[in-house]
Amino acid sequence: MGLYVHRPMISATQLSKHYRVKVRDSGIGGALRAIVAPRYEDVVAVDNLTFSIDRGEVVAFLGPNGAGKTTTLKMITGLLYPTSGKIEVAGVNPWTAGSAFKSRLALVFGNKQQLLWDLPVDETFRLNRAIYSIPDTIYNEQRAELIELLELEELLDRPVRNLSLGERMKCELAAALLHRPELVLLDEPTLGLDVNAQDAVRGFLNEYGTRHTATILLTSHYMADVTALAKRVIMIDRGRLIYDGSLQGLVERTVPIKRIEVTLTPNATFDSIARFGEVKRFQYPHAVIEVPRAEAPEASARILMSGVIADLSIQDPPIEEVIRQVFARDSRAGRDGGAE
Amino acid sequence: MTAVAVWSKRYGAFIRSAWMVDIQYRADIALWLLWGITEPAIALGIWWTVAGGGDVDGYTRVSFARYFFGVTLINQLTQAWDAWYIDHWIAEGEMNHRLLRPIAPVHEAIADNIAYKARVGTIVIIVWLLTAAVWPIVRLPVAPERWVLAAVAVVLGAGIRFFNGFAVGLLAFWTTRASDIIELQMAIGVFLSGQLAPLDLLPHWVASVASALWFPYAIAFPVSLLTGTGGWEHHIVQGFVGQLAWLIAWWLLYRFIWRNGRKEYGAVGG
Repeated sequence: MGLYVHRPMISATQLSKHYRVKVRDSGIGGALRAIVAPRYEDVVAVDNLTFSIDRGEVVAFLGPNGAGKTTTLKMITGLLYPTSGKIEVAGVNPWTAGSAFKSRLALVFGNKQQLLWDLPVDETFRLNRAIYSIPDTIYNEQRAELIELLELEELLDRPVRNLSLGERMKCELAAALLHRPELVLLDEPTLGLDVNAQDAVRGFLNEYGTRHTATILLTSHYMADVTALAKRVIMIDRGRLIYDGSLQGLVERTVPIKRIEVTLTPNATFDSIARFGEVKRFQYPHAVIEVPRAEAPEASARILMSGVIADLSIQDPPIEEVIRQVFARDSRAGRDGGAE
Repeated sequence: MTAVAVWSKRYGAFIRSAWMVDIQYRADIALWLLWGITEPAIALGIWWTVAGGGDVDGYTRVSFARYFFGVTLINQLTQAWDAWYIDHWIAEGEMNHRLLRPIAPVHEAIADNIAYKARVGTIVIIVWLLTAAVWPIVRLPVAPERWVLAAVAVVLGAGIRFFNGFAVGLLAFWTTRASDIIELQMAIGVFLSGQLAPLDLLPHWVASVASALWFPYAIAFPVSLLTGTGGWEHHIVQGFVGQLAWLIAWWLLYRFIWRNGRKEYGAVGG
């Protein structure tokens, strides 16, 4: 009997990427000095990152600008050569892996496109079909599925340059996923899209991941992307890992409170609800009270019994606030020279 | 599907896309073509005047006319713009999606060259035939065996210029403006490749320097084989040996720069 060895889709061990950047002072003097006596600085983009992602997982990479998210994605795909550490994707080293490996993944950038700018969308599909040697049956099936899920029928004959940003992003996704990659990496896939287009992209990615058991990694500054798609988040700041776990776990660990949103009755006053917890907002007929997470059920029951509210709902604090707090703490820890 | 079928489909798809883009930019092609014709036309005009009713070291007006018509065609058939493209791809982050494909970016560039050369070559040949119909002196003596050799030399010359341009473009992995290097090289190449004058009209030491470099093997040699003028038609073996040597040298350089440059790649942008 063979021994089953669990192999994650992505395994990074002490992964680092440093860039050597030329330092130049401002002004003509600075420009001349840079020629005569160039100075270089080692910029650490990714610093000893260790994580592992299983097949079929959907993971969000979070971090402020310049945290190292995109650099990490690029090392996962083999675009960038790591300065040190080890990375294995689908059991191979992405840097040395050949064409078979590349046929198993897709990387989509929200700010860059691979569509043929001057030609109708369908021309990029045809080109990718040949490049990836997609068999006819799979191509027809996958193309039909993508057209249906992303509602592309009307767009196929239109030149890419005539499409709106949202339409282009949908076509970009379709072109990148025609070969049915099992690993999909998305860098800001909803960047600049309107609310409807963002919803369409999120809905599609959810559907694609479920249908094909694809592993999906994304970076996004839109928390709605994260909550709609990922159950697990990996947070990076200044290249270092600061959290790896469930989204819910992050909320509970970072902000140990629950937010009770209430609709007040006419006889309610500030004081009448202040005894249940910290009133964060009071704007009749709405108010928000924060209570310790563990006490939320009991506090809700007491509020309901008080007779000053007409309705109540219990919420976690907004994810944006949670993220802000995590980065604020990490930034303070960094300034103090300590690590979390 | 066999490997041949897979690669035929890939090259076919790239060439199809390139031609479809060309159809969108018809005026652009016409202007580039005009640019390609202008330079040899000026050179022909000068030598035509210098030759007058006699000859210059054995070159009459007829041989100059044939030679520069040959230069126009061969230059277009061996021209490679890849250094500018690669420089742009690397600087603007457009190399990223190409590196993620299951085929190396060089294949897209080769297919693009085939597409480009097929269209401009066809146009130049048509223009040449039309001109020959009304102006007999640009008609070539019938020499099918030499034309076959010229066709082989054109392929090798195109290979030299392609890998030369590609390798220099890849220097953008280290420097931000690799295309400046190719522009300098082009300026020197116009002189040493025989585009301004047949090399045997240049001082002996200049012709010697030229023959030690790759420039004449990409243009002057195929032109001589095609037109029977230019001097290289008497050095066929030396010409082919030089072509093969420089093709291999630039191919090896391309491979070396590619392997080492990839590690330097910053993958800027998306």
